[in-house]
Amino acid sequence: MSLAKDLVNGIFRENPIFRLTLGMCPFLAVTTSVRNALGMGAAAMFVLVCSNFLVSLLRNAIPSKVRIPCYIVIIATFVTLVDMVMNAYLPDLHRALGIFIPLIVVNCIILGRAEGFANRNPVLSSVADGIGMGIGFTLAMVVLASIRELLGNGTWLDINILGEAYTNQPLLIAILAPGAFILLGFILGFFNLMENRKRGRR
Amino acid sequence: MPEMMKLGIVLMSVSLVAAVALGLVNGQTAPVIAVQKEMARQAAMTAIASSLSPGDSLAFDSIEVEGLENPYAGVNEALEVVRVSAPPDPEALGYLFLAYGKGYSSTIQTMVAVDLEGVVTGSIILYQGETPGLGANVAQPDRLIGRLAGLTGGECLLKKDGGTIDAMTGCTITSRAVVGSVADGLESMRGAGLFGPAPVGGAS
Repeated sequence: MSLAKDLVNGIFRENPIFRLTLGMCPFLAVTTSVRNALGMGAAAMFVLVCSNFLVSLLRNAIPSKVRIPCYIVIIATFVTLVDMVMNAYLPDLHRALGIFIPLIVVNCIILGRAEGFANRNPVLSSVADGIGMGIGFTLAMVVLASIRELLGNGTWLDINILGEAYTNQPLLIAILAPGAFILLGFILGFFNLMENRKRGRR
Repeated sequence: MPEMMKLGIVLMSVSLVAAVALGLVNGQTAPVIAVQKEMARQAAMTAIASSLSPGDSLAFDSIEVEGLENPYAGVNEALEVVRVSAPPDPEALGYLFLAYGKGYSSTIQTMVAVDLEGVVTGSIILYQGETPGLGANVAQPDRLIGRLAGLTGGECLLKKDGGTIDAMTGCTITSRAVVGSVADGLESMRGAGLFGPAPVGGAS
């Protein structure tokens, strides 16, 4: 597979959220605002690329019996690095994301790509896969966060779109947990509908 | 056995490299984080103390108050009180204190400026980890946190609990934590005699 294909793969055909349905916990929890979604996406992408790179580099050195503990140590190290660096240099974003940064450790997209892709593919395509999956994850989060922030708060990226009157009486459920599940259901349904249409035409 | 050794050595070296990397980065970032925290605290103090005496450059001194009860048992060791004055004039203008309240998913830390009669003049949230987009909005100056000014400890109550403050929709727990912790701190300071006798004919 070519590098470009590895890259695009994670964005559309194997989008971690909409197609693989991985990493739901941070996805549902952080998408209350577009700013959070972008920050979380960037942090997860960084960890994903770094861990994919290292796992792929070490794939012949790590015996398969202890590969999972090794992956977890690698991932946890990068997450802690991101946590410390963000806390020092981007304190506002760090405050907004709070607990979700340490939770990247248990984000199954990252362990899933280490186990499912990086440990049997060369370094460059693993990095491409990490970038693609990261973009796919971020895009998916921004899509849901846009809908939730717009409906639940009347804003997009903290810019007031629907006006003062709406902001005072928003559709609050969109920003609450049930709203996340309901909207995710609609989005997944839409993707499946498109998929079926495409198949039917063939 | 040799295979066991090999597995152990691989695991050990991976962990060792990880630990060294973390140690190095922590050495770099820990001082920056500490400086940032202190700066945020100073900025917050200056920002809300200006409501006591606008335009003056103010001095802050941490003080120990005799007989001051700690209303935040189990959350923080003490009620921290800072005395505010305008430097050439040694008289106190008012006090700042830190209130800690258990919210929905975090302990919310609020800094409150209060005048010598025990009336809140300004308040700001220093730390909260509430639900983003919901309880987290408590920190926005035009929401709940901005509505405490002009109240005394006894008046810090949500409408639901018989007071005058509107709770934020969908976050009663957060609202109650902030309002309650501020009221507790004020009561404790009044109990220690910081505000003198209750003003005669005052609103409270």
